[in-house]
Formats: sequence, C-alpha cells, structure tokens
Amino acid sequence: MAPEVTRVTINEPAQAYEDKHVHEVYDQIAPHFSSTRYKPWPIIGQFLCSIPTGWVGLDSGTGNGKYLSLPADRPGDIWTIGLDRSRNLLQHARCAGSDQPIREVVLGDILGSNWRAGVFDYAISIATIHHLVTPERRRAAVQRLLETVSPNHGRILIYVWAMEQDPLSKRRLPESDVGSAGLDVAVPWVLTGTEQVFNRYYHMFAKGELVGLVLEAAATLGLEIGSPSEGTTKSGRGVEIVQDGWERSNYYVELRCWRTQV
Amino acid sequence: MVRLITHNLLACHAKGCTSNNFPLRFENARVELREAEFNGDFLQGFLPKIEWNALVDTAKQLGDTSLPPEQPEMTDDEFLKNLHHVLMEIHVEEGVMICPNCSRNYPISNGIPNMLLADYEIA
Ligand SMILES: [Zn+2]
Repeated sequence: MAPEVTRVTINEPAQAYEDKHVHEVYDQIAPHFSSTRYKPWPIIGQFLCSIPTGWVGLDSGTGNGKYLSLPADRPGDIWTIGLDRSRNLLQHARCAGSDQPIREVVLGDILGSNWRAGVFDYAISIATIHHLVTPERRRAAVQRLLETVSPNHGRILIYVWAMEQDPLSKRRLPESDVGSAGLDVAVPWVLTGTEQVFNRYYHMFAKGELVGLVLEAAATLGLEIGSPSEGTTKSGRGVEIVQDGWERSNYYVELRCWRTQV
Repeated sequence: MVRLITHNLLACHAKGCTSNNFPLRFENARVELREAEFNGDFLQGFLPKIEWNALVDTAKQLGDTSLPPEQPEMTDDEFLKNLHHVLMEIHVEEGVMICPNCSRNYPISNGIPNMLLADYEIA
C-alpha cells in the first residue's frame, strides 16, 4: 500500500520549520536518492534543448543535479550551475552519473541572491518552491528567479507539485475542500530495507496558484505582464508567460523577460 | 566545485552589502587542474557576459597569467584555448572567498562553496 499523505499545520517560524521538515530530511535521505531516479519530464527536456549555445543558467533547488547535464545531445553547449541547501545532495549533483564530468554546484538558499543581478540567461526551479511554507516566501522565490536572469532575454521554467494528481500516481491524498489556497502536507519517504520513515513538507499547489504567484512577483518588481506591445513608444520591462500547464502531477510555467528601449 | 566560470557570476549578498560586492577574493585556495572538453561555440557565446577585469585578476591570484588585460575584439584559437583553461580547468577545492566590500567569508569545502547566510545577515 502506498504511504499516506497527511495534512499539516505549521506552528513554527518558517525557516525553522523548513530546516527540520525539508533540509534535514534531504540531507538524511540523500544517499538513497539515485541520480537516475527520474527521466526528465518532457517539458523540462524541451526547454533545455531550446536554450541557445553559449548561455549560462541556474538550477535553483538542483537536488541531485539530474538536469545539469542536459541537453544530452549537445554536451557543453550550455552551462547550468546547480544551487541547493542540502550539502549531501550536492555531493551527488557534483558528479551525477559516473561517466559525467564534474558539475558546478553551490550551497545556497533559493531566497538568497548570491549572484550578480541578471547574470544568468535562463533559470529552472523544479520541484523546489513547493517546499517553502508561506505564500510570501514562495512569491519571493519567484521574484529571485526574475531578478537573477537577464532583463533583456532571460527565460525561466518553474515546476511545483499539484493537488491535481496523475491517476497513475499511487499517492493517496487527504480529502480536501480547499479552493485556490493549495494544501500543506507531509509526504512520507520510506527508506528501502528499513522501517524508517521521513516526512517531507510540501505545499500542494491549487490550479492557477502558480501563475498567481508569478503575477504578484512581477508586480512587486514593477514588470509589465504580457508580450512587449508592437510599435511601443515607451521604454519598459516585462515578463511574458510563454506557457503554463499541468504535467504528471505538477503545474509548470515558462516565462520570458523582455525590455524595450526607445 | 568553484571554477572561475562560476566565480565570475558570484557576488556577496550579506545584509546591506550591495555595492563593490564582487569579485570575491580567494584566500588559502587549494587548486586542482582537471582537463575539460573544449567547446569554442560555448566560449564565444559566454564571452560578452564575463566581467573581464575580475576574471583576469582572479586568474592571476591563482597563478595563471595567460589572459590579456583587455578583452580582445577578435578571438583566435590560442586566446580561446587559454580562456577555456582559465574558466573550465582550474578547480578551487578548498579555501575561502572574501567579499571586497564587507569582508564576509564564504568557505569552500570539498569543492562546494557555501553561500548560505546566518539569519541575522539576511537582508
Ligand atoms: Zn559583502
């Protein structure tokens, strides 16, 4: 039987709660997180394939670094740097796949800004922002991504866990009548060969919630939403939602930054 | 792993440290050289994003003086080979990176730089 997902209430300061229910858990289960655990989701593979040669990117919340070597058919054409809060996961990410060259990884926080502003050409944040416990922190994480990529051409892809689960998923969810606010849950990880169970915190996103965060983050930064208007006579900065949708129990959104100078 | 390709993108982000917070200066750096696959197209695309003075100075700190003080307008094979070596093949395994503005130390251990701040340092 698949382990049950349970609702949780957060009754501690956000950072302390995330330290205990996210970062410490990943540090403990890291050795069991094989680098070949997932095939890349199709949308992520397509996104990285579409990145032009010579671009550098950030994988914010890289985990075991499974996206750092993509696209597999153009090795070295683009350069993705992995950031994560779990040192033990980064040890795996550094040399993901024994035949792979060593990767660049940095121990850091997705809410930090330890980069030159706008220095990256692209950023991905896959299955990461859903580990933050408040809407403000989740919005701040999107804001950091928008600040970290080029205002002229920066491209971003974000994935988070959805309340809408794949029918094939064996996870059983708590009954819920929550509308657009999503759901705070603990998801058990059972260590193979032992009785040990680790519970990880997730915020399961409701439909429309991720795009809502993007709109709020863009507004906070004073960015226009949409594509640059044709024949504009004003200088401006904005972000366009290229696509958003659902893929295998996750919501995703792809963004493109732009700037017009008159 | 801190190679100079990564170092050239990093900046200090301690509370209130928003100017002159780059490039971080290496101290007690233990360097290892590892050969990496050459990719000229990548280097050409990455060139405009490099903070050139920071790269040249940092390479010098680590004992490599192969780069010209000014970024050349025309690139030849020899230049690209040197650039490849500086960006991709010099690994700082252990040491510290120090902010030129606030002197905050960022330690590197086992090839992984620690850019985490304590609660009171977060802006
Ligand atoms: Zn500083």
